[in-house]
Amino acid sequence: MFTRYAKSASAVLCATALALPAVAHADAAKNLQVAGRALTFLEGGPTGATRMGVVFDPSKPASVAEKNAVMAAIGSGYDAGAIKLVGTAVEAGAVGGSNAQVFFVTSGVNYAAVGAAARGKKIITISSDAACATSGACVMAVATQPKVEIIVNRATASAVGAAFKAAFRMMIKEV
Amino acid sequence: MFKSFLFAGAAAGLALTALPASAQSIDYGSLELLFNEPVTTSATGSPQRSSQAPVDMDIISADEIRRSGATDLPTILSRVAGVDVQAWSAGHTDVGVRGYNQARSARLLVLVNGRQAYLDHYGYTAWTTLPVRLEEIRQIEVVKGPNSALFGFNAVAGVVNIITYNPKFDDESFATVRAGTGDYQELALGQTLKLGERLSARLTAGSSKEDEWDNNTGSLDRLFLDPERLTANVDAVAQLSDKVELRVEGGYASTIQTDIISTYAYAPAKYLNHSVKGTLSWDSQFGLIQASAYQNDLTVKTEIAAVPTRYENTIQVFSLQNLFKVGAQHTFRVGVEQRNNEMPTAPMPGGIISYDVMSVSGMWNWQVSDTLSLTAAARHDALDLQRQGRFPVGLPPVTNALWDRSLKETTYNLGAVWSATPSDTFRATYARGVQLPTLVDLGGLQLVAVTPTFRGAFTGNPTLDPTVVTNFGLGYSRDMPQIGGKVGIKLFAQKSEDVKGQPNGVQADSPATPISLPVYSFVNIGESEMRGFELTAEGQVADGFHWSANYVFTDIEDSADRGYNTAIRYAAFSETTPEHRANVNIGWANELWSVDTFARFEGDKSLYYNAALQPVEGHMTFAGRIARELPNGMTLAVSGQNLLDDAQRQTSGLAAERRVFMTLSKDW
Repeated sequence: MFTRYAKSASAVLCATALALPAVAHADAAKNLQVAGRALTFLEGGPTGATRMGVVFDPSKPASVAEKNAVMAAIGSGYDAGAIKLVGTAVEAGAVGGSNAQVFFVTSGVNYAAVGAAARGKKIITISSDAACATSGACVMAVATQPKVEIIVNRATASAVGAAFKAAFRMMIKEV
Repeated sequence: MFKSFLFAGAAAGLALTALPASAQSIDYGSLELLFNEPVTTSATGSPQRSSQAPVDMDIISADEIRRSGATDLPTILSRVAGVDVQAWSAGHTDVGVRGYNQARSARLLVLVNGRQAYLDHYGYTAWTTLPVRLEEIRQIEVVKGPNSALFGFNAVAGVVNIITYNPKFDDESFATVRAGTGDYQELALGQTLKLGERLSARLTAGSSKEDEWDNNTGSLDRLFLDPERLTANVDAVAQLSDKVELRVEGGYASTIQTDIISTYAYAPAKYLNHSVKGTLSWDSQFGLIQASAYQNDLTVKTEIAAVPTRYENTIQVFSLQNLFKVGAQHTFRVGVEQRNNEMPTAPMPGGIISYDVMSVSGMWNWQVSDTLSLTAAARHDALDLQRQGRFPVGLPPVTNALWDRSLKETTYNLGAVWSATPSDTFRATYARGVQLPTLVDLGGLQLVAVTPTFRGAFTGNPTLDPTVVTNFGLGYSRDMPQIGGKVGIKLFAQKSEDVKGQPNGVQADSPATPISLPVYSFVNIGESEMRGFELTAEGQVADGFHWSANYVFTDIEDSADRGYNTAIRYAAFSETTPEHRANVNIGWANELWSVDTFARFEGDKSLYYNAALQPVEGHMTFAGRIARELPNGMTLAVSGQNLLDDAQRQTSGLAAERRVFMTLSKDW
């Protein structure tokens, strides 16, 4: 009986493993959509082609997986409202040398270090991990499941000179 | 006065262009795409996601309007849970929320982009006089229960705020040609224009006509006119600076139709309605500051008791508000409003009834935690009533001083929204709203009737008190991924104090004297309580199928003051409100085809006709639409209303006729 359960469990695990990339890819696309549209509510924010650096830690499988999913979603360019996101993968240690206009910080990187580097360059940081925004490392965190949630860290936004439009601020969570 | 407001607004706009900062109207489309749900400002004045609004609200989307197959707003609204409709003729329908619907339904405030479309002179909405075409509506926001703290008087049963596309953000143009049975003909055109980088405008116009339903009432045929409607609308937005914006809206409607008046008698009516509104918005460092001014001018040629009657009504409204956020968790709105409203007496001229209202209002929304938000809103209105002019012979010897009266009312809305889990939302609301007596009620009506069989005067009553409505509601909704939708239940209880009774020739309110006739007027006759519940569910099935269903139960208990009978005063709401109403919608669509079906059930009720309550049996109605997308943005659709019978008795008046339409439309 145990063997039968083990086989079933193996089958479920295999199916889950096969399904995960698709799910992650779908979430990455939705997160990108929200992140890109949220950027259009910045005062004096970017329009048209916008360089997005996708920050990852090559030593963290989860970070690499999310980077791959985000880059796949961006493809040759991802339309989100009035902007078109153009992606470049950026290792966490290379943020300082990147020419990106906005960083998407994948889960698992050293948020504090990346956040500090981005603040130094006055660049907006976005993550799919709420902790990145609540900790003050990121300007914004976005989630799409089960509902769209946007968190903006006011202090971090102020530090990089980012100001969101009033109507937008009234509809999101600020910390 | 209004011109000076506009001039002041324009001057302010010119001055503000020199300011270094930033004003935006709400970009509903972008916010809806961002949050993946409709966005509204009709709950508190602040932009909110519909799921987080601290009021009981439904939002009808543009896609739902398009797929409704309906040619008028009341038909679309009838599919919202708890909305009651009484279709008295092909052109006149009264709409209420959770009961208390009646001829000249006064409890539902109707707005277009926040501008009142509700007709103050007699307290009702003539839906055909709204200058907007269905194609230019982004969404219809239906608030159930009082929302006077935001919108002021008459938002007691609910509010319908019609939000049109904003030409600054929405490049929507259309052409529609429709023909149908009953000699129905309609043409509508709309074009959005981008006039440089800073000026956008949308121009729309439309015309429709059809045959009136057959007269099976025994009333004179001359009372029944074939409905005709001509509308034009302009909506322009000028970006005066990066943060300052001016939006100007102007509407025109000319309508011919058959009305039913508040004492349930048919009357031919010709409406001429025009309005202009200017709104200046400044996205300042102090908050979203908005100043608006509008004027509505209305002329109605109709008759009362076979006496030709001409109503003239002018409303001027000026408002100023600031919406701002303090810290991360608190949003506030503060506002002031000044309103002037006047009408000459009718059908006998000689007097002018008017009032000025000064209002202050405020709202506080507190995001207590990630899952709990609390909202408190309050408004104080101070109304000064007055009358000028002479009185006709036959009325009691009173002077204009009787109208020198002040009314002061405070209204409020309290709401709590608790998202217990990402899928479960609880909502509690408590509100106090005020239904103001209409200008007709307060003395605009002035009729001396002397016939071989009747001698009396029908007049307004300047001492009439407002009806105060308090409402308590509880709601729970749960997202159900299993069905691709959600389910919900709501419980509500409402009390109306100082309910208004209509004049009736069998009960004089002031006896005859040697120098005056008996007077029949509007009086406060008692109170009424309502309680009920609402069940809703909606979902999507693979392959393009979607469905929704709702059921609402209400139970009303009327209580008349000593000396009054609710039935005689046309206020027997326990009789005139059906206990049960339900809707089912099933639809399917692919890239080329869409099919939608709508079934509606309304339970037994009684409605007045010929001064007595007449039973109206419960009935089921069925409507539908089949559409085929064509190349170049064109759509061909066949739709129909009241499809189950050639003519169906839905009220105590004309039987509603089956109508089938063929529509060819193009969007670009």
